[in-house]
Amino acid sequence: MNQPLPLTGIRICDFTAVWAGQTATMYLADMGAECIKVENPYIWNPMTRAASPRINAMIAPMLPPWIGGHPPEPGPRPWNNSPAFIQVLRNKKSFTVDSRRPEGLAVVQQLIRISDIVAENLALRTLDKIGLSDDQIRAIRPDAIILHMPAFGRTGEYTEGRGYGSHIDSVAGSTVLRGYRDSAPADNTSIFAGDFWGGMHGAFALMAALRHRRRTGKGQVIEMAQVESSAHMFPQAALDAAWNGRAHGSLGNRSIEGFVPNGVFPTNKPDTWLALSCRTDREWAALVEFMGRPGWAANPALATVEGRAAVEGELEERLAEWTALQSRDEVFHALQAAGVTAGPVLNAKQAAEDPHLAATATWKRLPATEDYPEVDWLRPAYRFSKSDVDLREAPCLFGEHNAYVYRDVLGFSDDEMATLRAGGHITDTFAPEALAGG
Amino acid sequence: MDALEGLTVLDFTGHIAGPYCTKLLADMGARVIKVEAPGGDSSRRLPPFKDDDPGPERSATFQYLNTNKESVGVNLNTADSSTIVRRLVGLADLVVTASAPRQEAALGIDYATLSGYKDIPVVSITNFGHDGPYRDYRLSDTVLYAMGAEMYSHGLAQREPLKLGGTAALLQGGAMASVAAMGAVHGYETQQIGQLVEVPLFNVQVSNIDRRSASILAYRFCGRIQERAPGASAGIAGGTYPVADGYVELTASAGNYWRRFVEMIDDDVLRDPKWENPMTAFDPAAKEEADAVVYPWMLSHTRAEAWEAARGAHAMLAPLFDGVDVWKDENFRKRGLWTEIDHPALGVLPMLGRPYIFEESPWRIRSAAPMLGQHTDTVLAEAGLTTTEVVRLRKQGVVA
Repeated sequence: MNQPLPLTGIRICDFTAVWAGQTATMYLADMGAECIKVENPYIWNPMTRAASPRINAMIAPMLPPWIGGHPPEPGPRPWNNSPAFIQVLRNKKSFTVDSRRPEGLAVVQQLIRISDIVAENLALRTLDKIGLSDDQIRAIRPDAIILHMPAFGRTGEYTEGRGYGSHIDSVAGSTVLRGYRDSAPADNTSIFAGDFWGGMHGAFALMAALRHRRRTGKGQVIEMAQVESSAHMFPQAALDAAWNGRAHGSLGNRSIEGFVPNGVFPTNKPDTWLALSCRTDREWAALVEFMGRPGWAANPALATVEGRAAVEGELEERLAEWTALQSRDEVFHALQAAGVTAGPVLNAKQAAEDPHLAATATWKRLPATEDYPEVDWLRPAYRFSKSDVDLREAPCLFGEHNAYVYRDVLGFSDDEMATLRAGGHITDTFAPEALAGG
Repeated sequence: MDALEGLTVLDFTGHIAGPYCTKLLADMGARVIKVEAPGGDSSRRLPPFKDDDPGPERSATFQYLNTNKESVGVNLNTADSSTIVRRLVGLADLVVTASAPRQEAALGIDYATLSGYKDIPVVSITNFGHDGPYRDYRLSDTVLYAMGAEMYSHGLAQREPLKLGGTAALLQGGAMASVAAMGAVHGYETQQIGQLVEVPLFNVQVSNIDRRSASILAYRFCGRIQERAPGASAGIAGGTYPVADGYVELTASAGNYWRRFVEMIDDDVLRDPKWENPMTAFDPAAKEEADAVVYPWMLSHTRAEAWEAARGAHAMLAPLFDGVDVWKDENFRKRGLWTEIDHPALGVLPMLGRPYIFEESPWRIRSAAPMLGQHTDTVLAEAGLTTTEVVRLRKQGVVA
């Protein structure tokens, strides 16, 4: 673990927001890039550090846990303890500046001059408005790699569309593919699969562009419209349309790969579920054997996937009658041992306490700060055997690295920093009212 | 120059996750040598098929996942295959594997064996990693999403939890592996570090930013568990609404997005200042009152009309598209979301195109997915095997 990190020496000037953008730069920070988050103390970026700057002990519990599950007393700086956002800030640095004012813009320009990457996924033209168009960035840093992650593109008819992950998923063709087979999409929960997807693809694209620059000396602009990358999450539906003219709807929990049975079945405690797939006829035979060869299942007509597909609904009902008598965790391990693909539907607590995740060092305990308690945090999903690609530095608190960025990275003197502090650029708190009218 | 030109990837993966990882590399210019077992990658047998007619060269899933790759047929279950693997590794800068940990050594593609041939990065995609109690457990896309991701809170409270469409969880695993692979490539090319990079699919889903990693941290912070809601939609005028010809997704929480939404539907009832109070969102009667205005507006607009109005007002509303909508959309076509492949057996067919637009080093299709074993002879010759050796190995069933 004494090896240098893969992206040592690469610096990111990070204007990203919400999930997709902030995770894209997080993956590069994991790999060792110095990712410096530019934070404006006077502009609340929606869904970037918390649902709202005014989250308090009364409001937080009224929101769903993923967005409202702050510590019971969120305290005076809820932007430092939103479960939805704080952990996408691991391995990053945060500094504050009001880039709308000339002296603030000058600070950002100074950072861009020594940055390899400028990344953003703000509302269209936000950076242009403050004087950081692509051309203006390249005038300062000719070989910059600039990543834009607009929702619906920077050109074309949809440029003015606005959306979070759930809206992008809808246009990308994701939302119509999920839901119960017998109910309308209006029953669907809003989810954000495209954010996860977009973040990974943004990171991949940046690292490809870094390699290109290393070999040619050329930077470039990358535009990743999140809706277009997300369309790649459902290639089977898109290509069945393009090749065969067929529109896919929701299959519920059935398999698009032709596995029968494939679904989520009740077990013997309330709201406790087992996911199960028979990926081959042999897995089905193993399941039949495991169930003790009940008459309905031992029917030779069900030995082939074609036979099972012909009576899929009925088969699911009979299987559910059997699973409803089983203890979920016992049957999970026993079915796996018998050669059947099955697993529990883990809720947040069960995932947090899962023995396999604990045994494989998935978590890392970080000390408490004034804003959150000591808890276990998630390490990256990838494990490098030699490079220290890991959760190395705790998520950056708002303005936590002002001294480091202004003094060590940008070379400001104490006097210059005092002036910027007096001007409200350097601060460790988000305070829109402080500049009201100013 | 392509961004990944000059990078040779030896790809032992099959099915969906691994091939998606190497597709991302191939489409940006890497040379990907795909080692296929006898009978070929299992995804050659996955639907949908062109004209619904199955066949190893007719699967859209396979064609999508393997653009720009070369196929070499090698039976890794034969003793002589190790010579071939060693020679192929000699051509490579990166190896990607996706075999079960208990089978890797027997196939001769475990990290210890591969790194003995050449000290390069090896990305190993597994279900659950190389250690721990679930190491040898099986996964499907559904079981993966159930265990790793936020399935538990997806769906309605009184019914079973729901998966995503298609094979999204497996593809997400491939995407994460591509991120790891690029990190490893930088480490190798700039610092000469060869190493094992593990990407367990389970961990990829646990780190899924779509609410899962957040719901786990929320549990640690406050002890609450993300549950399925009794009914759909969130807050006032939020969630999926029916319109005249389908559905739209809407978010109009208090603040700017509420004001823009009200401007869009232009109804005085919703201009009352009470709607600006964030607490109104928690009042079911208020939601009903808003819906009495929202539903008639929605049902009197088509998806296209509603989205056009939303874009004009910068309101957060977007239509639900299905695959046919994505395929027929003129804007997507003009921007390059669709391209074509020219395949020896299938002819010219549409293919999903660039997921991102690079100014200097374009995403591009250089070739359609390979026929099974199409490149066996050329690649093995390049790896230093003589024609006589290849003929002998083919006769013995080692290569195909």
